[in-house]
Amino acid sequence: MIYPAEKIWDHDRQRRNRKLERAASAMGGTLRDKVVSSEMAVQLLESVIEPGDRVCLEGNNQKQADFLAQALTRVDPAKVNKLHMLQSVLALPEHLDLYESGIAEQVDFSFSGPQGGRLARMVGKGQIRIGAIHTYLELFSRYFIDLTPHVALVAAQSADAQGNLYTGPNTEDTPAIIEATAFKNGIVIAQVNEMVDKVPRVDIPGDWVNFVIPSPRPHYIEPLFTRDPAQISEIQVLMAMMAIKGIYAGYGVQRLNHGIGFDTAAIELLLPTYAESLGLKGKICSHWALNPHPAMIPAIEAGFVKSIHSFGSELGMENYIAARPDVFFTGPDGTMRSNRAFSQAAGHYACDMFIGSTLQIDMEGNSSTATLDRISGFGGASNMGADAAGRRHASPGWLKAGEQRRIHNPGIPRGRKLVVQMVETFREHMHPAFVPRLDAWKLAEFANMPIPPVMIYGDDVTHILTEEGIANLLLCANAEEREQAIRGVAGYTEMGLGRDLRMVENLRDRGVIQRAEDLGIDKRDATRDLLAARSVKDLVRASGGLYQPPVRFRNW
Amino acid sequence: MTSSYYESTARARIAGLLDANSFHEWLPAAERVTSPHLATLEQPAAFDDGVVVGKGSIAGKKIFIAAQEGGFMGGAVGEVHGAKIVGMLERAVRDQPAAVLLLLETGGVRLQEANAGLIAVSEVMRAILSARAAGVPVIVAIGGQYGCFGGMGIAARCATAIIISEEGRLGLSGPEVIETARGVEEYDSRDRALVWRTVGGKHRYLLGECDTIVPDSMEAFRNAIIASIENGDDWSLQALEREQQLLGDRLQRFGDCRDSRDIWRKLGWPDPDAIAMMDNDEFVAAAQKRCAKQTIKAP
Repeated sequence: MIYPAEKIWDHDRQRRNRKLERAASAMGGTLRDKVVSSEMAVQLLESVIEPGDRVCLEGNNQKQADFLAQALTRVDPAKVNKLHMLQSVLALPEHLDLYESGIAEQVDFSFSGPQGGRLARMVGKGQIRIGAIHTYLELFSRYFIDLTPHVALVAAQSADAQGNLYTGPNTEDTPAIIEATAFKNGIVIAQVNEMVDKVPRVDIPGDWVNFVIPSPRPHYIEPLFTRDPAQISEIQVLMAMMAIKGIYAGYGVQRLNHGIGFDTAAIELLLPTYAESLGLKGKICSHWALNPHPAMIPAIEAGFVKSIHSFGSELGMENYIAARPDVFFTGPDGTMRSNRAFSQAAGHYACDMFIGSTLQIDMEGNSSTATLDRISGFGGASNMGADAAGRRHASPGWLKAGEQRRIHNPGIPRGRKLVVQMVETFREHMHPAFVPRLDAWKLAEFANMPIPPVMIYGDDVTHILTEEGIANLLLCANAEEREQAIRGVAGYTEMGLGRDLRMVENLRDRGVIQRAEDLGIDKRDATRDLLAARSVKDLVRASGGLYQPPVRFRNW
Repeated sequence: MTSSYYESTARARIAGLLDANSFHEWLPAAERVTSPHLATLEQPAAFDDGVVVGKGSIAGKKIFIAAQEGGFMGGAVGEVHGAKIVGMLERAVRDQPAAVLLLLETGGVRLQEANAGLIAVSEVMRAILSARAAGVPVIVAIGGQYGCFGGMGIAARCATAIIISEEGRLGLSGPEVIETARGVEEYDSRDRALVWRTVGGKHRYLLGECDTIVPDSMEAFRNAIIASIENGDDWSLQALEREQQLLGDRLQRFGDCRDSRDIWRKLGWPDPDAIAMMDNDEFVAAAQKRCAKQTIKAP
């Protein structure tokens, strides 16, 4: 056997070491241990980022490495350019400014939130190249396969001089990003809100971190999961009643994930009232993969909830979470430890149900939040809202759903995750939620995507719930029945009006479609008085004063 | 139907406050007396022009009532809207009910109607004072989502008594108006804690501008209205002089305060930040000795 002579196996490590040497000389005497002053941030980035590098910039729905994002827009494009950005969420204007100056040219991401409109325009003009749009788990996974970052720019609450990081309750994506970067010859730079002698707990060990920069101001956190109960409508209360009686009770759903809309907030606020009156305490909703929604406080206080693992935290919930360690995952310091990657995996594999809202549903049951003028991406719903084909452990709800599916699709016994899409037949501005063709098709054409961006595929959806009733798609014999079941709960939308009346009545007789009255629900009982909290203040009261809402949610 | 006053419509409030089936409406929606100005501007109209007026009874006492609907243009007062309230108040002068109830929820003048709206609001003020002069107490209730602002804020203060909830807001310029005119540094209308401690029910009560503060329930408002009617109307020179003294005293004591919390501290509240979370009973009990009205020495 012939061995190649002097084959070099540590190119990447040598490259990292050269970058670190450049950084040390650029920082000169200003570098203390791993601490770089904020004035030197741009020089640091210029010395460790090379043209064409893959750079992961942390930022999700909540925590943002916003200072580092701004610093990156200020590097000299002659020195740093053509970067390939990796980001969970394109949230800040700076994230897109990078492409206008040529500092970056390609992005792989998961969700674009408020920048969705500008992103679509920039794609249209050819200013930015999108590698792919992912789910969170998918993107994190690629960090360990073919999109490993050369440099990761992350955010933490505090650090010590050795680079140990404390992320506080918003750990979120940090561990996944750093794990992939630090162990594959990458460089990790953290912006921190404060420097301390000793961090309250070590969320990231210091030897995985190369530099820490005390940020001139605390990183931005968006309170994205606070839903003011005052804005929940009586239609939403009715839909929540149908969900609880028709689905949660029917399948004995104990382990679940909720979307973030007002529809599911209504369910959360009906647990201690309506669900309790049906004798469901202890029988449903005990274990959750969920952000710490303030709307969960009454259900937690009423003893419904045994455990919640969270993707991230929520502003104002810190003291409440710290005082409920039986429910939330907390560190020895008392504050919550969140982790998006683990919670997403938990939501996919360990939950029996996902329920959430959407913008459009077609007649196959495919649903999408894409509109023509916005590229919004996927986030986490696609993983939560998909049957976990790799799941092997059984639970009563999972088995029951599997049995229902096998009525018309015989095969070896296996379970099925419940995936529920909950929508009012008309959205705001009278846009119908049920459409013949998703806007996603047009967006795919416009943005040159290989496939239409579908949030949840029709074959993953088990139930569609509207104010008109519940369509159980598991019980449909064929595609034609499926379509009529969907039309049967589509109300006065064009799709609903186009239903085959006889077939829909037949589906109702078979329990494939269940209306409120079929479930024994009197619509007149659907009042806001059923909500365990009707205002943010009621939530504060329910928490015993521990929940401290951001001022924008107050009316007192 | 909800038990919350805050969340109710004008018609639900009337139904919830008055004796069952006692309400008779004047110029109901069926008569379609709508705004001519909105029609000119091709704006949508409401068949009652956003206000319900009529007569009924509360605890057996005959009353006249007007209820503004915040859901239509924020309860803004147009020409027809104002004329309905004024006509009801003038009829009260003639027919002498036990009281007039004004359930106010309004941003003030309807800008689309310009001068006609302004005149309407001033006519409401004059009519309130005419009713009181004729011996009919005028009771105002404020507890809706849009508060009571603009000229109708002044009209409210012309009444015999104001009943407010913590969620209720009373003022002249609304938060957004102040921010637009004076800048966000002066007043951040999105800082809702700031908004409520400036114009919210608790602060208005502590300043002595509202006579009763109640929790947000139909029953609490109803009971407070019944009690206010029984209190009658002190329309004497002495009462007006007391009010004058209160206002002068207030200006002197609190004129240099930058924030309502400074005022509360001066009123003797040891922990002003705790006020926001107090429930109504606790707040009212604690406020007995820490209210601007208490600072007036008996003449």
